[in-house]
Amino acid sequence: MIEVDGTLKSRLAVWLSVTVTALGALLLVEAYFSSQRAAERAYDSQLESAALTIAEAVQWQEGQPVVEIPAAALQIIATRHQERVFYAVLDAEGRRVSANLDIPIPAEWRTQVAERPVWTNTEHSGAEWRLHGWEFDSAGWETQDPVQIWVGHTLAGRQALTGELFEGAVSRFLVMVLVAGLLMLLAMRVALKPMRRLRQLLRQREADDMRPLDARVPEELRELAETLDTLFARQRESRDALLRFTADASHQLKTPLSGLQSTSELALKSTRPEEWHRALTAVHQGAERTSRLASQLLSLARLRHVADGSGMNRLDLAALLRETVFDWAGRDVAQGHDLGLAELPDTPLYINGEPWALRELLGNLIDNALRYTPPDSVITLGLVKRGGEVELYIEDDGPGVAPEVMERLHQPFERGGRQDTEGSGLGLAIVDSIARRHDARLKVAPHTPCGLRISVSFPLENRP
Amino acid sequence: MMPRYFHAFAFVALLLAAAPGRAANPLVVEAALDREVVAPLLAAFELAHPDIDLDFLDRSTLEVDERVTGAAPAPDVVISSAMPWQMARVNEGYASRLDSAEARAWPEWAKWRDEVFGFTFEPIVMAYRLDLSRHMMPPATHADLHTLLTEQWDLLRGRVTTYSPSQSGVGYTLFQQDARYTTRFWDLVAAMGNAEAVLEANTRDMLEGISEGRYWLGYNLLGSYAMVWAQEHPEVIVQVPQDYSLVMMRMAFIHRDAPHPAAARQFLDFLLSREGQRVIAGETPLFSVRPDVIGPYTAQRLRDQVGDRLYPIPIDASLLAFVDPQRRDAFMQRWRREFMRR
Repeated sequence: MIEVDGTLKSRLAVWLSVTVTALGALLLVEAYFSSQRAAERAYDSQLESAALTIAEAVQWQEGQPVVEIPAAALQIIATRHQERVFYAVLDAEGRRVSANLDIPIPAEWRTQVAERPVWTNTEHSGAEWRLHGWEFDSAGWETQDPVQIWVGHTLAGRQALTGELFEGAVSRFLVMVLVAGLLMLLAMRVALKPMRRLRQLLRQREADDMRPLDARVPEELRELAETLDTLFARQRESRDALLRFTADASHQLKTPLSGLQSTSELALKSTRPEEWHRALTAVHQGAERTSRLASQLLSLARLRHVADGSGMNRLDLAALLRETVFDWAGRDVAQGHDLGLAELPDTPLYINGEPWALRELLGNLIDNALRYTPPDSVITLGLVKRGGEVELYIEDDGPGVAPEVMERLHQPFERGGRQDTEGSGLGLAIVDSIARRHDARLKVAPHTPCGLRISVSFPLENRP
Repeated sequence: MMPRYFHAFAFVALLLAAAPGRAANPLVVEAALDREVVAPLLAAFELAHPDIDLDFLDRSTLEVDERVTGAAPAPDVVISSAMPWQMARVNEGYASRLDSAEARAWPEWAKWRDEVFGFTFEPIVMAYRLDLSRHMMPPATHADLHTLLTEQWDLLRGRVTTYSPSQSGVGYTLFQQDARYTTRFWDLVAAMGNAEAVLEANTRDMLEGISEGRYWLGYNLLGSYAMVWAQEHPEVIVQVPQDYSLVMMRMAFIHRDAPHPAAARQFLDFLLSREGQRVIAGETPLFSVRPDVIGPYTAQRLRDQVGDRLYPIPIDASLLAFVDPQRRDAFMQRWRREFMRR
């Protein structure tokens, strides 16, 4: 049954969106922090240039630094975002030469500034401030003391710039996702094209077209195409086998039927009753053979088509074998041969099987042995337990078969290269079919010193 | 139905406002702005907001600045023409942000941080007495003034008046701004010193002096006052300088610790509103900033008359430099040096 389980497109879409979301989250976090860094850098450099501008205005008068705060410096500190402005000029002792707000500058910051410029954030009058401290040596006529310049502003501009940069990054990312999504859709269409082509090719095929596929497929579909090809090949083989079987069966049936026809024609031309009698006897034997052939064909066909194992039971193979051999030994056809049973194991040997089919198997094996061996031949059946298997065998001391036909022996209408018997050539084919139904292995081997040994190995049923 | 309902409500509100023991909704405005000049605006506000009991206190710029930090409780709204000091207070965090449609729509150049707003547009002018024109060609530019002071110094001695930078914050600001534009300003200061110019603390005193005949010529007067004065005193002529004319703006902000912030917001919104600005343009000489207001006193009309030579004192961080003590000291030293050069 074909069950539709979503579409490839939706699967690809889900994976794509999962990937994009996960990567996107990382990217956006990164974008946020880099926006923040960029904004910090931009605004810090403003503070830096403001400090420089103020430093430029520092002069010494009577041993004291004096600074006329340049208006431009304050505008630089305020930035276009109109930040609140802080500046302080400190002399060497930390006294405020000039300052506009009383943001405290601890002594530790002042000592730090002596070594290198300081960047720090602080809280004052209900707002957060970014402060920058910088020390420089200013030379006057009387003194040469360092002067510290501190500048600072509130953070609205930094936050706004961060937001702006981040928004830009987000919108660029969204556009990218959109474009990627569209391209992905296009790519899916292109990528799935070979599948559509394959589908069309299969749809256009005639029902009895079993030729291998003639299609151009990508690597990912090669396996599917090859599987389809194998399937076609198997179907072709099985159809060929069926056709061969039907042809052979017709042929086999035709021979005895034409024999019947010619015998009855000859008899009809004769006027003598003894001729009629002889002809009737021949017709009777021919009909019997034909009927047997037909029933064998039927059972073979049935074995091949009734595939389900619904009639399987647990049964004792030894008992079945004993019963069947005794039955055959009593029949007329077996009187010219020495049909016997080897010593069987004491314990029952259980297998899973269909009694009728197994009886058919044994019957065919025995029948074959009786037909293809000269009178007085010794035919022995037996069971050997080997690990998890039990081997059922039949041996004879007849002429055996040539090694080259031994492999083909189980095919229908194969008579082991002999045309002198009344056999139909279906016996071993039936045995083979039944063995397959029971997961058993059929093996044909020569018997020493002469004759043939056919064995069927069944898996043992261990369940009590 | 609604209007009647509203009227009934307004009436009740008026009754409440008139009731003894103060209204439920007081508002204290500390302003360096003549009450009589701004009266129509206050009346219009009271009419528009009858539920608010407005207490408008007119003081000098110095007093207003002191009350920003010292008053308890703090005033609700602070208005002053001493732009650098207003700016410094805002920078110190004494203002609270006005988040309203009017505030957002206000021109960028006339506000800072949406906390303080310049709501008037007052040109700085020269004024002279008619007597002057009988003796000489009245000055139209700063250069003219300098030439006049140099060439006619004996005639003008003691008859020139201007702001005292030490007594008036506005005067100090104007001179600072003048000095920013050209270094020749110091020649002008020296010339004024040479002519023994008299330094006054406010525009009104200068105008009175001119009317009385004590002075012939005044420099850096508030145009808003001078123009009204000139209408009533025909002997006084107002001259907007033709080379450049400074423009001063009154700056208003809501105090951070305003006890009545809601009323304060309504007051400031009214100042910035089309209605408030219409009153400023039509009934006061303070000049409206809004370009969409029509009246005799608008920035637009002034520009049409004077041309593009109006230079508003920018409301930005550069104002903070003017209140820096060292810078102020340096400026005053230079002023005195130049003024006393002789």
